[in-house]
Formats: sequence, C-alpha cells, structure tokens
Amino acid sequence: MRKIHNTGFQMAAILCSVFFLFPFYWVVISITKDISQLYEGTFLPGVPSHMIDNLIGVFGFNHAIFLRWLGNSFLFATMGALLGTFFAALAGYAFRRYAFIGRKLLYILILGFSMVPAFATVLPLFIIFKNIGLLDTRWCIIIPSIVNIFGVYLMIVYFNQIPQELFDAAMIDGAGDATTFFRVGLPNILSGFTTLLLLSFVGVWNNYFLPLVLLNSSEQFPLILGITTIRSLQGFPIYNLVIMGAFITTLPLLILFLVGQRFLAPQLTGAIK
Amino acid sequence: MWFVGLSNYSSILTDEKFWQGFGIPVFLLLVQIPAMLILAIFIGLLYERIKHSEVYRLIFYLPYAIPAVIASIIWSYIFSKTMSPFIPLLKFLGFGQVQLITLSCLPWILLIIILWEWTGYTSLIIYAALLSIPKEYTEQASIDGANYFQAAFYIKVPLLKNTVLILFIFNAIGALQIFNETWMLGGVGNFSLMTLPPNYTPAMYVYHQAFNYGAFTYSIAMALILAAIIFIFSFAFMKMSAKVLQSHE
Repeated sequence: MRKIHNTGFQMAAILCSVFFLFPFYWVVISITKDISQLYEGTFLPGVPSHMIDNLIGVFGFNHAIFLRWLGNSFLFATMGALLGTFFAALAGYAFRRYAFIGRKLLYILILGFSMVPAFATVLPLFIIFKNIGLLDTRWCIIIPSIVNIFGVYLMIVYFNQIPQELFDAAMIDGAGDATTFFRVGLPNILSGFTTLLLLSFVGVWNNYFLPLVLLNSSEQFPLILGITTIRSLQGFPIYNLVIMGAFITTLPLLILFLVGQRFLAPQLTGAIK
Repeated sequence: MWFVGLSNYSSILTDEKFWQGFGIPVFLLLVQIPAMLILAIFIGLLYERIKHSEVYRLIFYLPYAIPAVIASIIWSYIFSKTMSPFIPLLKFLGFGQVQLITLSCLPWILLIIILWEWTGYTSLIIYAALLSIPKEYTEQASIDGANYFQAAFYIKVPLLKNTVLILFIFNAIGALQIFNETWMLGGVGNFSLMTLPPNYTPAMYVYHQAFNYGAFTYSIAMALILAAIIFIFSFAFMKMSAKVLQSHE
C-alpha cells in the first residue's frame, strides 16, 4: 500500500508527543524554581536556578528523613522483588515437576486470588499485623511484598514452557531438585524471571496504599508515601520540595524502564519479522 | 459475631453513600475507557504509518513508568490556579481567576490523568495485535480498490475486537478500585488542593470508614462486596483470555 497522508500522521504523532511529554518538561523546569518562581507560572526554567537549594531542602527536610525514605523504598522493593520472584519460581517449579494432591485446586485458588484487589487484603493485613504487634514496622511492608500471587501464576506459565526432555535428562544424570531448579529450571526461564523481578520492584516501589494503611511513623515510610507528607509547620505542602521529591522518586523508575524496556514493555516479538 | 457480620452486609445494601461512590467508576467506564481505547487504536494505526515509530512508542509509553500518586500530584499542580504554567496565558485571555480543581471539573481532570498514564501502554498492546494481522488481508483489500482508511477501519479494527474487549475489562477492574488518583487530588485533607467527599469513590469510602469513622468491620464488608463486583469482571477477563489463547492455537 502507498504511504498516503504521511505528513498528517506525522503531525498527529508530534501533537500526541507534546501531551505525553508536557508533564515531564514541567517537572524538569519546576525543580529549578523556588516557591515564588513556581507561582509565576511560566514555561521556562527558573532564573536564577534554585535546583541546588531544592535538593538541599528536600534532603535536609525534617532532619534528613528523605534519605531514610529512600533507603526504605530500596529495602522494600529489593526484598519484595528478589524474595517474591524467587519463591514464585520455586512454586512454578513444584507445579511443573510434581503431581500432588490438590494441585488443580491450588492452581485455581492461585488464579482466583491473583485477581483479588489489593485494598481487600490490606484491611485484614492491618488486623493481623496489629495482633502480632508488627504494625508500623518495616516488616509489615516487607512480608506482604514477598507474597506475589500473580507472580506465582506467571511462573507456573513460564515453567510449563520448558520441554520435559530437559528435566528427564537432568534426572538421568542424577540431579536432585535443587540442582535441577538452579541448573535447568532458572536458566530456561531467565527472561521471564527478569520481567517478574523488574515488575515486582516497580510494583513495591509504587505501592502507596499498603504503607498508607499500615505505617504511621515517618521513619518507616517509603518515598512514595513520604513525599506526600512534606509539609511546613503550618501543615501546608512545601510545593517546590514536593516536586523535587517526586522527581527523585521517579528517577530510578525511569532508568529501570529505559534499561529494562525489553522486559517491561508489552511484547511485540513474534509479530515483528 | 455472626449476626454483626450479616447486619454489616445488609446495611451496605441500603447505604446510599457507598453506592453513590460508584459514580466515578461508572464515568470512567462509560467515558474514559472508551475514549482511551479509541485513542489507542488511532495511535496503534499511527505507529504503522509514521517514521521513527519506535521513538514515539517510547515517548507515549513513558508516562506508564510514573506512579499514579506522582502523576496525580504533578497534574493537579499543572491544573492549580497557583502554579499552573497556563496562568499568564489565561490572564491574557481574561480568565485570570478560573479555578479548575473543583468538584464538577474533577472527573475531567481524572480523565486527562488516566489517559496520560495509560494510553501509551494500551496503544502498544493494540499495536502488537495489529502486527499479528496477516498482511494478505489488507493487501487483498487494496487490490480490490479500498483506500488506506477503508482497509484500516473495515478490516483491521474489527479484528482487534478481542484485544479491545480484554483491555476494556482490564481497565474496568482498575476503574472500580480507583483510589490513588482521587486520593491525591482531594483526599489528603489540606495536603491536596481541594477536599473531596469521603465517598467520592468506593475505595475511598472503604478507607474513610475504616480509619476515620472507626467502622472497621463495616469497611471490610464493603471491601469484600467491591471485590466481588470486581471478581465478576475478572472472571469475564479470564474467560476472554482463555478464549483468545485458544483461538491462537
């Protein structure tokens, strides 16, 4: 087919880009502004630039609690992603390799529970953590983050794609479960494993509702919750610091999405030839 | 305990405030999701026709990397009457005092935020489906004298039906439990630029009942009813996915 109306299409694409890029642009110019420059409301970066002041301001806010939030976010996301994905892979292996009683029922339960919305599980979690005295500690974010039911479902799907011959060969060579899992299973699902790892990292990093409900003291907050509490003594948000905080919170995500694009974007492979 | 539990459920059924909260999800279901799907189909078709489409795919997809909480904060500032970069322009046009963060404008602001967040991602899924349509179909049509638009709308778009339906259900599940966006726009007291009624969305009402009104078991019962409604959509989603998987085999 001839390429018709190409300039029209190109213009439409550029127009859409303006819409999708505008908030990014606005954040990048706004982190150079102090509060009075923000109120001027222009499309240009602040002159003189207050970027360094904002950086110092956000890291110095409330006795450098921002660093603590940053650390918490990395702790929650790393623990949740690594352990959650690993356990999910173990479950996937078990489903692939063993016929056990209730296997089918368990599979249906996993599929069903992966659809249960988060807020329905967070309220019961609140009661559980309250009863065992872990409420408002970092454990009550780490422990639920490790349980990744949708991840288990994905891993079952991934492991089912490994050909039976590979497992048979490992068994003939006398490999035990551990060896088979690490030497045969994991290498064959590596790309899926990486996808799930990145997805869970982003998921835990962005999880706002769980810490909102379960945490109360500022020292336990992750970034995403912390930046919404940057307020002056009068209780009003310090807008320039909130924007800087939001920028820093987003930075690792943007890097991750750009580096791990291959694993995170919807798959076009197989379709592109 | 047993009777308390049951009475919770029966009082939810008559709790108007809970059901009023569904206004926003229904708005998203009827307006935002269809608008986004149409836009995403348009963009998906665009990807096939433009130069440097991989650059545009990345640009449109980028907002998906931004958490909803932060997207909502940033957009609410862009729409605010204090920090908006459009104020000088609006003043010039004589609309200096216009206030956009209001209860009546909020659904539309919500629409823009969600379109911004999800359209790029959705268009990628549409694009993947478009790529899987055999070239012969449209080639045959163009031999028969169909122009590009006819080929796109009469041959490609109908073939997207299953993908679009799955996307609709997937987004409906999200719309029913919408919390982060509305919470950042007007739920956090004086942190946000306005204050929304506690039952603005079902999930917000659940949160307020549990932590501000002290009706914890009542809110859990509400969460379960909401989860059940969502499960109906999820079930349809699973059924549909299974059907599509089978049709690919």
